[in-house]
Amino acid sequence: MGIFSGKEQVQKSQAELLYEVQMRKERHFRANVGLSWFILLLILILAFSGQSLTIGSVTFRGIKVDTGFIANNLSFIAGGLGETIRISLMSIALAMILALLAALGRLSTFPPIYALSTFYVSLIRGTPLYLQIFFFFLALPQLGIILPGLIAGVLALGLNYGAYMSEIFRAGLSSVGKGQREAAIALGMTPSQTMRRVVLPQALRFAIPPVGNEFIAMTKDSALVSATGFVHELMWRSTKVGRAQFHNLEALIMAAIFYWGMTMILSYLQSRLETRLAKGDR
Amino acid sequence: MTSIVKISNLEKYFGRLHVLKNISLEVPERQVVCLIGRSGSGKSTLLRCINFLEQPSKGTIEVDGIVVHGGERGRENRQLVHDVRLKTGMVFQEFNLFPHMSVLENVIEGPITVKGMDREKAIKLGEEHLDNVGMLFKRDEYPNRLSGGQKQRVAIARALTMEPRVMLFDEPTSALDPELIGEVLNVMKRVAKEGMTMIVVTHEMGFAREVADRVIVMAEGELIEDARPTDLFSNPKDPRTKALIDRYRSGEQQ
Ligand SMILES: Nc1ncnc2c1ncn2[C@@H]1O[C@H](COP(=O)(O)OP(=O)(O)OP(=O)(O)O)[C@@H](O)[C@H]1O
Ligand SMILES: [Mg+2]
Repeated sequence: MGIFSGKEQVQKSQAELLYEVQMRKERHFRANVGLSWFILLLILILAFSGQSLTIGSVTFRGIKVDTGFIANNLSFIAGGLGETIRISLMSIALAMILALLAALGRLSTFPPIYALSTFYVSLIRGTPLYLQIFFFFLALPQLGIILPGLIAGVLALGLNYGAYMSEIFRAGLSSVGKGQREAAIALGMTPSQTMRRVVLPQALRFAIPPVGNEFIAMTKDSALVSATGFVHELMWRSTKVGRAQFHNLEALIMAAIFYWGMTMILSYLQSRLETRLAKGDR
Repeated sequence: MTSIVKISNLEKYFGRLHVLKNISLEVPERQVVCLIGRSGSGKSTLLRCINFLEQPSKGTIEVDGIVVHGGERGRENRQLVHDVRLKTGMVFQEFNLFPHMSVLENVIEGPITVKGMDREKAIKLGEEHLDNVGMLFKRDEYPNRLSGGQKQRVAIARALTMEPRVMLFDEPTSALDPELIGEVLNVMKRVAKEGMTMIVVTHEMGFAREVADRVIVMAEGELIEDARPTDLFSNPKDPRTKALIDRYRSGEQQ
C-alpha cells in the first residue's frame, strides 16, 4: 500500500493536468469557431452590400440589393411568419397523434391494426412530400373534396411527418422497461391503465427532444405548401412580391433570414429544453 | 389456521423447458416463508405464478379464497386474476418504482387508479405507509434521487398501501450495496411482525434464520425440502440443501 500511494498521487495529478489541457484546447477551439462565424457573416453581409473591395489588383464587386424594395415589403413578408408558425404547430400536433397511433399499432398483435400502421408508414415514406401536398390541393378537388388551404396543408404535412415520427414514439415506448409494466400489473392495473398511467407518460417524455427537432424541420418544410398558393406564409409572400416587382433576390434573402432566425431561436430553445429534461431525468 | 395461499399441482413450462414440476404448497395466514435455491431453480417463476405475472400451465392457485385454474382464459378468468392481484403485493429486485412520479404519487397510484379511492384518503393512507418504512421525509422526492435501499423501502410501502393479504418478495436486497441491505431487511422484519403473510425469495440466510417460520428449498423446479429454519440449517435432509447451505456459509465467512 505504502509503496503504491506515491505513484497513485502522481497519476492523479497527471490526469488532472491532462484534463485541464484538454479543457483549454476546447475553449480555444470554441473561441476560434465563434470568430470565424463572425467573419463569415461579415463576408456575407459585405457581399450583398453593393460595396466594392479592391485587394491588390483584384476587385470584388458586391451584389447590389434594392434597399427600397426591402423596406417597402418587409412588413408584408414578415406577416407570413405567424402563418408559418401556425401551420407548423397545427401540423406537428396532428403528426404527433398519428405517430403515436402508428407506433401503438406496431405493438398490436391484431393483424389488421398492425397492417394498417405499417401500410400508412410505407405509403407515406414511399412518396414525395411535394406530391402529397399537391394531392390534397389538386387531386382531392377532382373528387369534389375542396379543403380550405390551411387544412389541406396541415393534413399533408401532418400525415407525412406522422409517418416519420412514428419511429420516435416506437423508440419511446420501447424505452420503458418490462419491469415498469410488471409493477403496474402487480398493483392490479388493467392493460389500458398500465399504458395510460405508466408507459405513455414515460414514452412521451422520452420523445420530447426528437419531436422538437421534427418541429424545427417542419417550419422549413412548411414552405412547400406555398406552391399551392393558398396558404400565405413566409415563402408564398416572398415569392409573390419578388415575382411581381422582379426583385426575387431581395425577397428570397429576406425570407431566408426569417427562416434562419426562426430555426436558430427554436434550436436554442430546444437545447435548453433538452438540458432541462436531462437534469430532471427521473 | 386458514391458508392464504394454496398452490395445487402447479406446472409451468417455458416452451419446452419444464420449470415448475407438480408443485403444491400451502401458506397459512401470518406465516413468513423463505424460498431458497440455486439460480435457475424456478424460485422467481413460482412467485410470479402466484400473482399471474407468469401464466401457470396447469394446476390451481388459490389466494384468500379466490381459486384460479391454470391454463384457462376468457373474461371470467381475467376477473379472477385481477382479484388475486388485489390480494397480493409484490416487491421486485429492481424496485421498479415509477420514475415519472414522486414518492407519494408512486404509493397512492394503486389505490387511486386501481381501487378508485378518493385522493385525500389515498394520501392519508400512503403517508401512513411511507411513515412505516421511514420514508415520509422523502414524500415529494423523485425516485432517481433516492438510494437503492430507500427505493426499495418506497416499493414496499407502495405494495402495502394496496392492503394485500400476502406479500411476495423476489430477492428484494440482491440489487443493493451491502451497506444498504440492513435497512430493507429491517423494514421487512417489521412488516412480518405486524402479521403480514410473506413469501420471500432470498439469499439472506440471516434473515431466513431470524424471521422465517419456514424455509423451502427449490431445485430444478421442485420443492425438495420444507422445514423450520433451525431444523433446516442444523440438519438438512437433502444433500442438495446441504450443499446450498455450505455455499452460503463459506460466502458469509468471506
Ligand atoms: N420468460 C422466460 N422465458 C423462458 N425461460 C424462462 C423465462 N423465465 C425464466 N426462464 C427459465 O426458467 C428457469 C427458472 O427461472 P427462474 O427465474 O424462476 O429461476 P430463479 O430460481 O428465480 O433463479 P435466480 O436465482 O437466478 O433468480 C430458468 O432456467 C430460466 O432460464
Ligand atoms: Mg429469480
